[in-house]
Amino acid sequence: MAGDAPPSNLTQLSGRLLERDALRRTPAGIPVIEFLLTHTSVQTEADSERKVECEMACVAMGLAANVMTAVKPGDALRLTGFLAARSLKRRSPILHVNTVEFVEGNENGIQAEE
Amino acid sequence: MNIIRVALGVPLPRLFDYLVTDYAESDIGHRVTVPFGSGFRTGVIVAVAHSSALLETKLKPATSILRDMPPLPADWLALCEFCARYYQAPLGEVMAFALPPMLRRGKLPRRPRATVVRESTSPPALPTLLPAQQAAVTALDACQKFQTFLLHGVTGSGKTEVYLRAIDTVLARGGQALMLVPEIALTPQLQGRVAARFPTAHVVAANSAVADAARARGFLDALEGRADIVLGTRLAVFIPLERLQIIIVDEEHDASFKQQDGLRYSARDVAIWRAHQRNIPIVLGSATPSLETFHHAGRGTGPGRYCMLELPQRAVAENLPVVRIIDTRREKLQDGMSAALLTALELRLARGEQSLVFLNRRGFAPVLACPSCGWISGCKRCASNLVVHLADRHLRCHHCGFETGIPRTCPDCGNLDLQPFGRGTQRLESVLAERLPDARVLRIDRDSASTPKKWQALLQQIHDGGADILVGTQMLAKGHDFPKLTLVGAVGADAALFAADFRAPERLFAQLMQVGGRSGRADLPGEVLIQTEYPQHPLYQALTTHDYNAFAITQLNEREVAAFPPFSFQALLRAEAREMQQSLDFLVTARSAAEPLAGERVALYDPVPMRMPRLMTLERGQLLVESANRPALQAFLAAWMERIYALKMPAGLRWHLDVDPLEF
Repeated sequence: MAGDAPPSNLTQLSGRLLERDALRRTPAGIPVIEFLLTHTSVQTEADSERKVECEMACVAMGLAANVMTAVKPGDALRLTGFLAARSLKRRSPILHVNTVEFVEGNENGIQAEE
Repeated sequence: MNIIRVALGVPLPRLFDYLVTDYAESDIGHRVTVPFGSGFRTGVIVAVAHSSALLETKLKPATSILRDMPPLPADWLALCEFCARYYQAPLGEVMAFALPPMLRRGKLPRRPRATVVRESTSPPALPTLLPAQQAAVTALDACQKFQTFLLHGVTGSGKTEVYLRAIDTVLARGGQALMLVPEIALTPQLQGRVAARFPTAHVVAANSAVADAARARGFLDALEGRADIVLGTRLAVFIPLERLQIIIVDEEHDASFKQQDGLRYSARDVAIWRAHQRNIPIVLGSATPSLETFHHAGRGTGPGRYCMLELPQRAVAENLPVVRIIDTRREKLQDGMSAALLTALELRLARGEQSLVFLNRRGFAPVLACPSCGWISGCKRCASNLVVHLADRHLRCHHCGFETGIPRTCPDCGNLDLQPFGRGTQRLESVLAERLPDARVLRIDRDSASTPKKWQALLQQIHDGGADILVGTQMLAKGHDFPKLTLVGAVGADAALFAADFRAPERLFAQLMQVGGRSGRADLPGEVLIQTEYPQHPLYQALTTHDYNAFAITQLNEREVAAFPPFSFQALLRAEAREMQQSLDFLVTARSAAEPLAGERVALYDPVPMRMPRLMTLERGQLLVESANRPALQAFLAAWMERIYALKMPAGLRWHLDVDPLEF
C-alpha cells in the first residue's frame, strides 16, 4: 500500500460484449451474470501510439446483472468497476462491474448504478 | 414393617423403600405414587419386604398404590431387570421408558371405546408360496420353543408373507404375536396389510407417532390380553403379552433398532432375550442381515446357533434386478450424473416407468462456501457444517437443528457470490427437472416427508403414478413396493466407502442392496446403476452378483483379524462438557477407576475426542472398553459403574455408557 492513501481499485473499460452466460442467482437470491468484453483502442505508450486489444472477464451482480441481460453480443458498452481475484485458487483478476453504459446506437441508452 | 421397594424413573441406580399400611405380594408390578423430594412421583413396585436398610423412622409412607390396572407381570419386570443389568441403566429409568408416558405419570386412558366388532370379511385370497417360502413357514410352524431364526431372503422374496403365515398359525393356537419394524414410516402400510389379512384380530400399533392415550390403551389391551398382534417400532419390545408365542424382527439389520439416547438398548437383542425368557421362536428377517446375525447363523456355510431360512428367489418378479457399475473416473459428469444414468432415465420416461435416483444426503448442498476467501458455513454449536436448504432459503445444522437465513454476503469478506458446494437431494431434484422437463420429479426425504401425513400423501402419489422420477434418501430404501419402478440410480455412494467407522461398508452394502431391491419387483425387469470412482471395489463387485454371502464372509474375516464385533464385545463411555479437556479428564479418571477391575480379559483403550467432537456447544470424548468374552465384560461394567457413580462429577459434565455401541 502506498503511504496513507487509500488503496485504489477503479477500472473503466469500454468495448463490445463478446458472450455472456445465462443469468443465475446466488443462494440468497441476488442475480449474477458473467460475461466477456472485447476491448479495442489506440493508446500511447513511451511516446508512441499503438493499437490495443484485449478480452476481459467480467461479472455483474444485482441491478447491473439485470441490465446486462438486455445486452446482445456486439453491443458497445462502457463499464466501471473494480478488479478482484476469481477465487482463492485462481488469482487472475475479473472485473466486477458496478456501472454499465451503452455508448452507441441507442438513443435511449440505459445506465445502471448501484 | 410393611415395606415396598419402588423403581422410580430417576437417574440413580437403586430402588426406593416406602412404608405401606396394607400390602400383599400381589401388589408387585402395580404402579405406586410416592413422595419424592419436594413432590410426588409414580413408580413400579418391584418387591415387598419386612425390613429396610433404612430406619423405619426415616421411611416415608407411599401415597397410593394404583390398583386400577392389572399388575405388570413378572416376565415384564424380569425383562426390565435384564435391560437394567445388561445396559447398566437404573431399573426405574428402564421401567419409566418401557411404560407409555401416560401410565408412567400414574394416569389411565379413558376406558376403551366400545370394542369394535369388525365385520368378519373373508380374508383375501392367499398367494401361493414358493417352495422356499413354504419350507420357512413349515420350519416356523413346527417350532414351539426358543430358537432364533434368520429369515434371509433377497429383496422382493416375500418375507412378509412368511411372517403373516407364521402369525396365522400362532393366532390359531390362541397365541399372540409381536412384530417389530424399523421405522414409523413403514408401519401404516404394514398395519393395513396385517389388518386386511386378519380381519378379526385385534392389532395394536405401537410407535412414537401414536398419540399418548392411544399408546396407553394399546399397552393395556396387550396387558389385559385383548391384543392379538402388536406391531411397532423398537419401543414395542417392552409391551407385555401373556400369550406371546412368536416375535418377528423385520429388517433386523436396521440401525434404528438401537436407541441412540436415554436407554441405549438394541430392540433386536432385547427381543432375542425375551424370546429366550418365554421359550418361544423369534424370526430375524432381512435381505442383508447384520454381520453379527449372519455370523451366528453359520455364515451360510454350516449350522449355527441361529437357524438359517433362506429365500433365494423373488416371489413375484422373475429375476433380481441387473446391477451395473458405472465408472465415473474418466467421465465428465453432468451435475453429478453420468451419461449412462441420464440415458437410462430418459428411457424409463419414454416407457412410462418410474425411476429412483438415490442420494443419501438431504438439502441442496452440504455446505455454503465463499470462493473468494475460503469461508464455509460452519455450525457455531457443532463441529459440522450448516447445510444449504434452498427450498426455503435456510442454512441448517443436521446435527443440532440450528437454522438461519442464507447470508446475503460472505460474513468474512463481503463477497456476494457465495456458492453451495456439493450435492444434496434438492439440487438433484432441480437439476433433473431442468434436464428432463417432461418428467415429473418428486423428492422424498425427511424435509418433503416431514409428517406422517405428508409421507403418506407422497407414497400415494407414487403409487398412483403421479411421479416419473423419484429423488430420495434412504427413506425410500426399505420395504416399499412400487410395481412401476424399474430403475434405481445411486449417486455419491463412494463417500461411505472410506468412513472411519468399521461398520460403514456393512451399512453401505445393505443400503445399496436394499435400495436396488426397489426396482423391478413386479412384472417389469429392474435395473440398478451405481456410479463410482472405484468400480473394482469388492463391495460393488459383490453387489453386481447379488452375493451377500461373499461380501459378508469377507467382512467377517476382516473383523476377525481386527477382533472387532462380533468377535469382541464393546462398550463406550462417553462424556460431554463445555471444554474437551474436562471431558477427557473425566474419562482419564474413569479409566483409572477401571484399571484394577479390568483384569486380563477386558481391554481399556485411551480416552479420545469423539468423531463428532462438538455437538450443541458440548465437547465430547469417548473411552472404549472391549473384551472377547461377554460375561467378563458384563461383570467388569457392573463393577466399574459402581465406581463411576461414586466419582465426584465436575459441574456441567454429563456421561453415559453405551453397551454394544453402533456409532463411534
